[in-house]
Amino acid sequence: MKTVIDAHNISKVYNPETIPVYAVNHVHLHLEQGEFTALVGPSGSGKTTLLNMIGGLDKPDEGQIFIKGLDITRLSSSALINFRLHNIGFVFQSYNLIPVLTARENVEFIMQLQNLPEELRDKRVEKLFREIGLEDKMNERPSRLSGGQQQRVAVARALASKPQFVLADEPTANLDSKSAANLLDIMDRLNREENITFLFSTHDQRVIERARRVITLVDGKIASDTAAVRTDEQHPSLPG
Amino acid sequence: MAWRNIWRNKIRSIIIMLSIAVGLFAGIAVLALYKGMMKARTRTVIDSEAGHLQLHHPAFTEDYDPKFTLRNGSRILQEIRRMEGVKLAAPRSITNGMLATPGGSSGVQIMGVLPGPEYAASQLDKKLVEGKLFDDAKKNQVIIGRKLAVKMRLKPGSKLVLMFTDSSGSIVSGAFRVAGIYRSANAPLDERRVYIRMKDMNDLLATGGAFHEIVVLLNSDEDVPRIQQELQHKWKSASIQSWREISPETDLMVNTTNQLSYILMSIIMLALAFGIINTMLMAILERTREIGIMMALGTTRLRIFMLVILETWMLTFAGTPLGFLVAWFSIAHYNRQGMDLSGMGKELMSSFGYSTLIYPEFPAEKFPGLLLIVFLTALVSSLLPARKALMMQPVEALRR
Repeated sequence: MKTVIDAHNISKVYNPETIPVYAVNHVHLHLEQGEFTALVGPSGSGKTTLLNMIGGLDKPDEGQIFIKGLDITRLSSSALINFRLHNIGFVFQSYNLIPVLTARENVEFIMQLQNLPEELRDKRVEKLFREIGLEDKMNERPSRLSGGQQQRVAVARALASKPQFVLADEPTANLDSKSAANLLDIMDRLNREENITFLFSTHDQRVIERARRVITLVDGKIASDTAAVRTDEQHPSLPG
Repeated sequence: MAWRNIWRNKIRSIIIMLSIAVGLFAGIAVLALYKGMMKARTRTVIDSEAGHLQLHHPAFTEDYDPKFTLRNGSRILQEIRRMEGVKLAAPRSITNGMLATPGGSSGVQIMGVLPGPEYAASQLDKKLVEGKLFDDAKKNQVIIGRKLAVKMRLKPGSKLVLMFTDSSGSIVSGAFRVAGIYRSANAPLDERRVYIRMKDMNDLLATGGAFHEIVVLLNSDEDVPRIQQELQHKWKSASIQSWREISPETDLMVNTTNQLSYILMSIIMLALAFGIINTMLMAILERTREIGIMMALGTTRLRIFMLVILETWMLTFAGTPLGFLVAWFSIAHYNRQGMDLSGMGKELMSSFGYSTLIYPEFPAEKFPGLLLIVFLTALVSSLLPARKALMMQPVEALRR
C-alpha cells in the first residue's frame, strides 16, 4: 500500500498570544492509497480545520503534512494552488457548483485549468457523467438539478483532475436519505473500482456506516482511530 | 464565464450598462453641442466678420490711422482674386469715429465698402432686418446694426452725422441717412460697426481710390495656412493675418472648449466609475464563497484577478455602443433640424457672438479620445474589485 497522506504532529491554534484555542491539537494522521475514511466528531472538534490543512487550504501552526512524500506546509501559496489542482479533489457541503456554468462545464473547468486538450477533456467528462449516472443532465445549469444531482456533479468535478485523493466536507449534510445513499454508492464504487482515496468529515451515521475506517476527533485531538465499521466480508471485491 | 457572470443579476447589470450609455450619451451630446457652437462661431467670424485672411498696411492695425492705406491695393486685389483656392476678395476702407444724432453720440467703426463684394464677404445683405441695402442712385447712405439703432433711436430714413479724422489728421464729418438696419449673431459688433459706401468714405478721408483692408474668403478652411504663406511671400511689405490672429478670442475659445470637452467627459465617466465599482464590489461580495471554491479547486489568483477585470470591462463596454448609437442618432437628427437655444437667452448668447440656432455635430475626431476615457474608466473601476478578489484567502472565503 502506498502512503498518500502523512500528517505529523499538526496543530492549528487560534488566539495564540491571548487565550490559545487549539482547533487541531498535535494530530498524527496516516492514510494509505484506496482508504475510505470518515473523520467524525462533534461540531467544533476540528474536522473541517484538519481537512483544510490536509487540502492545503490552510497552514498548520505546527507540524508537517506530506502528500505523496511532498511537505505541502513548505509550499508557497501559488505552488499550493497548483498542487491542489493536480493532486486533490474537493467535495463541499453545499455542492458549490459554479452557477453560471452547466454541469458539464463545471466538471470541465478543472481540466481547463490543467490545460488538458479538448479531446481528452470530452472523453473524461463523458466517462465521469456515466459514472455518476447523469449523462442526460450534462448541459443543465446547477439551478435545474436537485441537491443530490448537484452533489454527484461535485464528485465528478472532484475526480476530473485525477487527484491523489478526495476530501469531502460533510458531503451528505444537505441531502435526503435516497440522494445520500446514491451518492455514497457512487463514491464507494469509485473507491473500490478505481482505488480512489476518500477522506470525509461527517456527522452523518449513513456515511460512518459505509466507511472502512473511522477517525474520531474530540477537541482537536484524535480520540479514536478504528478500522472497519464495515468488515471486509461486506466488500467481497476487496482483497482479503 | 465573465460574460455569464454579468447576467447573474440582470437588473443590476442593465442599470449599470444603461447608466454608462446615458453618461456617454450626455457627454457626447455636450461635446456635439460645443462643437456645433464653436463651428457656428468660427463660421460667423470667417463668413461675416473677419474672412479667412486680411491684408493691411503693417502700421494700420496698430491704431487704425487712415493714412496707412494698403500700397498697390487695387493690383493686389486683382491678383488675389485670380489665385487658386480664393473664393472672393473685397476691399474695405476703415476708420474709427463718432456717430452723432440730435439725441446723442456713440463711438463706431466705419467700414467703407463696395456693396457687391461686401455683401458676399460679410453677408450684409442677408443680415438686413429693416430698410434697404445701398441704393446706387443715392449718396451718403449708412447701414447700421440693430443694437446701435435701438441705442441711438434710429430707423431707416433717420439722419445722422459721422465724424472722424482724415488721412491728414483733420476732423471731417458727413451727414448720412440710414438706409437699412442689420442684425448679426454678434451683438457687440452690431453696436459698433456701421457700413457706408467706400467712395463716400474715401472722399471724406481724402484717400482717393486707396483702401485699408482686403478681406479674403477661401474655398476651404484648410487652405488658410498655405494661402497665407503664399500671400506673405508675394507681398512682403503687407501685414497678412488669418482669422485666428484677427479674432484670437475665438481661436482661444475653440481650443479651450476642446480641452474642456475631455475634462467634462472624464468627470462624467469618473462619476460612473463609482457606480461600476460599487456594482462589482457587490458582485464580489456575493460571490465570496464561490471565489473561495474556485481558489480551492486550483484557480490561480491571476485568473481570478483577470476574471473580475474582464467582468468589469464587459460591463463597461456593453453600455458603450448603446451610448454612442443613441448619441449618434440624436445628434444626426438635431444636425439636420438645428437646435434652437433662444429659450436660454437670445440676447445673452448674441452678446457673446453666438447664434442661438445650433447645429450639433458628432465629434468623430474625438472618438479615439472618448474610447480611451471609457477604457480608463473600465480600468480604474476594475482595479479595486479585482484587488478585493485577489486578496481573498480561500479558507476564509469558504467560511462565508
